[in-house]
Amino acid sequence: MCLKANKHLPIHFVLSFFLLLWGCQSGQNREKGDGEGELLTSVTIGYADGFSIDHFGEYTKVTIHNPWTKEKKPYAVYYLCKTDTTTLPPDGIPLKVPLSSLVVNTFSYFEFLRLLDETDAISGVTDGFRIYTPAILHQIDKGEIVDLGDPFNPNVERTMSLKPQAIINSAYAQLDSYSERLVQAGFPIIYSLEWMEKSPLARAEWIKLIAAFFDKEAEADSIFTAIEGRYLDLQAKVKDVPHQQSVMAGDNFQGTWYVPGGNSFNATLFRDAGLDYRYRNNKESGSIGLDIESVLTQFGKAAFWIGCEADTYGELAEKDAKYLLLESVKKRQVFNNHSRTTPSGGNDYFESAIANPDLILSDLVKAAYPELLPHYSFTYIQPLEEEAAREK
Amino acid sequence: MKNKTAIFIFLFALLLLAFISDIFTGNASISVREAWAALFGTSGDAITDEIILNYRLPKAITAVIAGSALSLSGLLMQTLFRNPLAGPDVLGVSAGAGLGVALLTMLSGTVVYPIISSLGSMAQVIAAIAGAALVLLLILAVSARIKDSITILVLGMIFGYVASAMVTILQSFADPDSLKVFVTWTFGSLGGVTWGKMPLLLAFVLTGTAIAFFMQKALNSLLLGENYAASAGLNIRRTRFLIITIAAITTGAVTAFTGPIAFVGVVIPHFARAFFGTVNHKTILPATLLLGSILMLVCDVVSQIPITNRTLPINAVTAIFGAPMIVWIVLKRKKL
Repeated sequence: MCLKANKHLPIHFVLSFFLLLWGCQSGQNREKGDGEGELLTSVTIGYADGFSIDHFGEYTKVTIHNPWTKEKKPYAVYYLCKTDTTTLPPDGIPLKVPLSSLVVNTFSYFEFLRLLDETDAISGVTDGFRIYTPAILHQIDKGEIVDLGDPFNPNVERTMSLKPQAIINSAYAQLDSYSERLVQAGFPIIYSLEWMEKSPLARAEWIKLIAAFFDKEAEADSIFTAIEGRYLDLQAKVKDVPHQQSVMAGDNFQGTWYVPGGNSFNATLFRDAGLDYRYRNNKESGSIGLDIESVLTQFGKAAFWIGCEADTYGELAEKDAKYLLLESVKKRQVFNNHSRTTPSGGNDYFESAIANPDLILSDLVKAAYPELLPHYSFTYIQPLEEEAAREK
Repeated sequence: MKNKTAIFIFLFALLLLAFISDIFTGNASISVREAWAALFGTSGDAITDEIILNYRLPKAITAVIAGSALSLSGLLMQTLFRNPLAGPDVLGVSAGAGLGVALLTMLSGTVVYPIISSLGSMAQVIAAIAGAALVLLLILAVSARIKDSITILVLGMIFGYVASAMVTILQSFADPDSLKVFVTWTFGSLGGVTWGKMPLLLAFVLTGTAIAFFMQKALNSLLLGENYAASAGLNIRRTRFLIITIAAITTGAVTAFTGPIAFVGVVIPHFARAFFGTVNHKTILPATLLLGSILMLVCDVVSQIPITNRTLPINAVTAIFGAPMIVWIVLKRKKL
């Protein structure tokens, strides 16, 4: 049985339940050092810092690294086995793979699962009304997927009732009570930390992590290699542009304009798309809050504006006439990421884009250097529409 | 007297009923029979047992503890300050707890991460208790120098505002995810107290409640005014010190474990006085504890009703559900 002694399980029947549910044998193998077998191979991870996958003969060790510690200590360790008789080391979460039922509490994994053809494994999600992926919405309607409510405070009872084999939950720097409850009840949690990665390819590479839980490492590798190939090809294409276009990003939120820090996901994307971004040498990995005056002085001359929240130029003018002073607005080179949205607030940009960095990059290149991608049409972003301001 | 005993028996029965209802209702479809089996043995399904024994049961017990502790704290504040609007939060202790949690949430990804992560889920409780204790120490330091209780009330509220202002500043610097983590805490949750945490919460609240029971006479004499109480031989400063400490510790502990829960503390003491038609603490004190527990249990049952797949935050349910009950009482009696 894939099992280990867990000090968090106060009640034996929970233990016995999982004994029945999964099959490998309890890992008390003391002869081989820390209970680990012989390392045979490790999955090559080219970009992501957040995880590693090592094969040890009868089982696979998946380690999610702790991004908040300098020495990359493990945040969570999983031992994946395929048969009921495998002996596993006791220092990790045992799981029998492939998984067949999963609660997914983070939107970015839908596309990973779709690419791996494992969408059917999803039994529960959160914030169902904000989901874009049509297949998942359809399954929610049919009652095959249960909506568990607020992603920051999901319904504990319903989650447990689904009896999922694992729960994918976003991890933050502090333990949330939802995860704590589920861990105490013996449910394995796969911590989602791809959002801490700084580059688009690194985030997309997390498909390899989730694939390990479905025993589909080879598929994930070929999917990622294809994505990587397309991304790098495009990156090479824009290297030779004679003049780099300048770009501004973000939007005004209640008086503060949040722009991406130089070490952030978006700044990397701009760099790879051959765009000149003012904060590219900044060390911040999150966002930087600016006031409108700083934005006007620092980004007033930027040729492009990516990530605007408005849908039309009229709406922009109505929101704040100062927007009209921006060069990007004057040139009508403003883009939002509302190309694929649902009326109730779903936006594919926050779902499938993580798994498809080549498409986000193509979007940016198409916007700034359309001649490089003559046959491509936008996936996630779209230019603002021309529409007169509404009468007040 | 007989009448009073009858009311107490009735309230006990109501408490029991509310407690059982809270355990038998929830979002997982578990029948009463299964829940009963899980409670007194095993239902045959490990997950059902887990939900009943390790989720609903501690949640119901937490509701009883939180409801009674906050109501007790409110009663103590109303008696000390002789102000009907006083509640557990007037000393600024809840705001202090909020400041502790906000600091923790915003700083958790920085250099202090190793310390925070080593504390696990107790980190939030410890941060909240530290914040609440800081405000309590300030209040006690001030109250030792000030004679007038109302001035302490005003200063307590000022400390509360300062703590809230600092929380606002922290929020303005926070990234959206940390912000949401903190905002979720402010919704309040009875479900976060595991068996492991329960003894600590109980220790704080039981100590406070026990001391309050020994102070019934002192509380009654305070109702007549501080001057009268002093002339009757009451050591005002010591009594005040004790009352503030008990109220702050019970409120701080509950807020630390469940997040802020509004309304109950201010209103239940009024409810108790209206119910029994007396202000004598010998009656009102136990009545407040009982009524607070009942209201909190009922609110927890209500908060489980899913609205578009979300359960309502307990902090909001207490006011939304509790207010009509109070208005009904007021209309019936024409006063509180």
